[in-house]
Amino acid sequence: MMRAEPWQTAEVCGPKKAQSLEKPVVVKALLKKAKHPLLVVGANSLTEQTRKKSMIDYFIEFSENWNIPIVATAQTIKAFKEKGFKNVYSHNAMEITYLLTDPEWMVAPKKGPHDLVMTFGFPYYMEWLMLSALVNFSTEMKTVSLGRYFQPHASWSFPNLKKQKWNDALKEILTKNGGKK
Amino acid sequence: MQNLAEASKLKGETATISPIFPSYYARKWKERTTLTEQKRARIRADRLDTGFGSFRNVEVSIGRVIDEDWDEPMGPTPMPEVTTLRDWDHKLLKRYQPSYMPACQLCCLCTFGKCDLTGGKRGACGLDIKGQSARIVLAAANIGCAAHLAHARHLVDHLIHEFGPRTPLTQGEGVDIEAPVSRLVTGIRPRSLEDASSIIDYCETQLTHTLSAVHTGQEGSWLDFESKVLHAGMIDQVGMEIADLVQISTMGFPQSDPEAPLVEAGIASMDQSKATILCIGHNVVPAAAITDYSMEHGLQDKVDVSGICCTAWDITRHDSKAKIVGPISWQLRFVRSGLADVLVVDEQCIRTDIPLHAAKVKTPVIATCDKSCMGLPDRTNDDVDAIVADLVSFKVPGVFIGDHSKVGEVVVKTALAVKPKRKKKSSLPSKNKIKELAQTCRQCSECRRACPNDQPVMEAVLAASEGNFGPLVDVYDECIGCARCESACPNEYELHSWMVTAAKDRWMNESFKVRTGRGAIKDTEIRAVGQPVVFGEIPGVIAHVGCANYPDGGRAIHDMAEEFAKRRFIIVLSGCAAMTVGTVKDEEGKSIYERRTGAFDAGGVVNVGSCVSNPHIAGAAIKIASIFAKRNLRGNYEEIADYILNRVGAVGISWGAMSQKAASIASGFWRLGVPVIVGPHGTKYRRMLLGRADKAEDWKVYDARTGNQVQIAPAPEHLFYAVETMEECMVMTAKLCFRPNDTSRGRSIKLSHYIDLHERYYGYFPDDVHSFIRRESDIPITLKDKIHVHMKEHKWQEKPIPDPTILQRMVYGGGDG
Repeated sequence: MMRAEPWQTAEVCGPKKAQSLEKPVVVKALLKKAKHPLLVVGANSLTEQTRKKSMIDYFIEFSENWNIPIVATAQTIKAFKEKGFKNVYSHNAMEITYLLTDPEWMVAPKKGPHDLVMTFGFPYYMEWLMLSALVNFSTEMKTVSLGRYFQPHASWSFPNLKKQKWNDALKEILTKNGGKK
Repeated sequence: MQNLAEASKLKGETATISPIFPSYYARKWKERTTLTEQKRARIRADRLDTGFGSFRNVEVSIGRVIDEDWDEPMGPTPMPEVTTLRDWDHKLLKRYQPSYMPACQLCCLCTFGKCDLTGGKRGACGLDIKGQSARIVLAAANIGCAAHLAHARHLVDHLIHEFGPRTPLTQGEGVDIEAPVSRLVTGIRPRSLEDASSIIDYCETQLTHTLSAVHTGQEGSWLDFESKVLHAGMIDQVGMEIADLVQISTMGFPQSDPEAPLVEAGIASMDQSKATILCIGHNVVPAAAITDYSMEHGLQDKVDVSGICCTAWDITRHDSKAKIVGPISWQLRFVRSGLADVLVVDEQCIRTDIPLHAAKVKTPVIATCDKSCMGLPDRTNDDVDAIVADLVSFKVPGVFIGDHSKVGEVVVKTALAVKPKRKKKSSLPSKNKIKELAQTCRQCSECRRACPNDQPVMEAVLAASEGNFGPLVDVYDECIGCARCESACPNEYELHSWMVTAAKDRWMNESFKVRTGRGAIKDTEIRAVGQPVVFGEIPGVIAHVGCANYPDGGRAIHDMAEEFAKRRFIIVLSGCAAMTVGTVKDEEGKSIYERRTGAFDAGGVVNVGSCVSNPHIAGAAIKIASIFAKRNLRGNYEEIADYILNRVGAVGISWGAMSQKAASIASGFWRLGVPVIVGPHGTKYRRMLLGRADKAEDWKVYDARTGNQVQIAPAPEHLFYAVETMEECMVMTAKLCFRPNDTSRGRSIKLSHYIDLHERYYGYFPDDVHSFIRRESDIPITLKDKIHVHMKEHKWQEKPIPDPTILQRMVYGGGDG
């Protein structure tokens, strides 16, 4: 395991830094506690593969297990729609970031504000900035970066994992660790 | 008279008493008089005898007399000060609110700090994270504006020195409104270089104010920081417009010419049998001195002059035989190739370590601008031959020469003399050497971590260690030339050079044609397209501008331009984006410029020129309001911006935005009501301006006919917006072209493009179509059945089409207030 430090050169942050996500079970605990979690999925999900399963398939399984809505940014939505998945919403990455800083806003009505947001599939620097907005302007919200590399502005983030280890961790979070709440 | 005499002596020619407008002018002037009455009086004498001496060819300029030729009435805001348009800004910022993504949660600008601004804390000065974030945005806009303004000031002063203050300004035939942005903002129509100088005086004062607001203990509100951002952006547009107007008028550039020359571009366009000179930067004056010297001395068969970045555009506008190497990101690869015998740097966007790289290939560097002396010795006042001798003998790696007329001679003589001595020395390693070095790679991943585009540099190096150079070529294709991978490498390997070597076959054969910058859009062209643009029948004007910080190698710019040109949008380009778009060739080997007209018309691909040509794009929108809609534009900013926001479907795209200049350029468009999309790296500007489509109350306008407030669709939905992908950019571009004023025919055309692109890239019918349909007649005929179902699902109701304005005073009769 590598150190929990920003992956991309010079992307250091301020005083507040993510906790290193050493054990996938932490995510399960966060999910159990959350009242209205949300998964935000970027376009890099379309090209990312973990073993033989596409990330889109993993996310659909995860969403169905936990009844979590998904926001798909850019053209990522197409991959979800093609699989007939319904619990998915289309927003731009900047737009969803901004909306999440509004405590009144929610992707699906009547469930209350989002208290846990998980992110995946963005260019490193873009996710870094999206999470910066959330850490600064949505201070009550917990965020989990599911990417391979450490995102200091998240509440929880993997600490720059080797690819195999990250694949295993993701699999544990998105499938084996799933199950009904 | 003594001051006048001293001034005359200093300038060696006509003296003027200046400036006309003192720094506090606008408000004072409005109290006293109107600008219509302002024009300099001038006394000229072949001989003037005074008590302290006799003078020949004296010209004295005092005050102003009436500009009786111009009968357009002055609007309410000539030469606005920082707060004059604050209400307009606040209206925009209420609908398009800043969304901040701070790059840092600290402030370290004063000695109170560092201050921790996390969790709602305020710093020692009282600013919170939102205010600090807005302050950083203003700092960027100020820096960008300053770069353009200083460029404009240099051009104006230089050209006054060369040609005299009364040299007329022109954009050529068919252009009566020669400087729409300046007219709109200042209320002055610049007719001569001295008018241009007066306008720059005004801009410099405004920039001083917006810059001072960044100081500790000044502005405290994010909203007012943002208002000042818009002000700096507007001033930037004026400064750029003046810069381009003066060079177009005096330096032989194409003047609003849709058939501006097609020029050679790409590294292979350079004739290596000649002494080759590469000019990098934005200020054409030194480069023009080089081509002029070469031509005047009959050396064009022996010397090839080329450029990188905006100097490249402007040198080809000055001399169409000059070449364009490529955009800003190609500096390092070209310098290290050793193909340039002399490097000339002027200002802006130059790699600041150019002398280090040039020294390795024995290419002398000539710095020519006071903003970028590069640590080189000042040889401005030395004998030309002495300078050349020192450069050719490599006694000095380069020199700074502040006298542009001397630059031409030094550079050409040096290039000719040094060529046989340096023999195109290159610092690029051989493939064998790369393979050998690659075998010692430590596999630390630092190169990949340093790559802004997360390119698999290390993996490519490991492949090269086994003799497979393909992956390095792939990295080269998406490389932005920053060389951060090299800085990170613990072995200090020149990894960028490795990519360049691997891809040598590619760039050595790279040659394409681009249409050089035409300058302004003709009034006659505006007259022809004004109505279809405002009514929506030409679905939009899309401007690709800015730098080459591309996420994907830049092909996306071409693909987007081609897609929308096919759809009969008007495509306008400038700067590095305008070069990149030409790099893609069709099956016949033709670039987009060879395939499409350069006229400002549906399907046209219009290169206006360099960075400072951007105001021609803003100017086209302004001229639509003036020429088609007959709105007065003189000193009438709010009304015209309101017109553009509600009627002109224009969108700016800066796919590779990198600089602070790009930030200030965008700010100038925002204040005019033109939305801007940036590529993914544009998120690093750390602030978006986003509308809330879900908040109906944000989307109301006055109907100017009735004064009633009317609900409109969220159009344009955002003012500043970053996207992840080209596909997303295309969908949003089509959407951001909607305007409240679209006619039914125009709206149906725009809807059909939006729906088509949305279905193609997002895979489904967009779920917000109903909000853009006001009447049955808005529905595209071919999609009627589908849309009717959608409308029923959303309980659609007919909505009025207003004569839209967000300014209550624009209601006929003045409205309630």
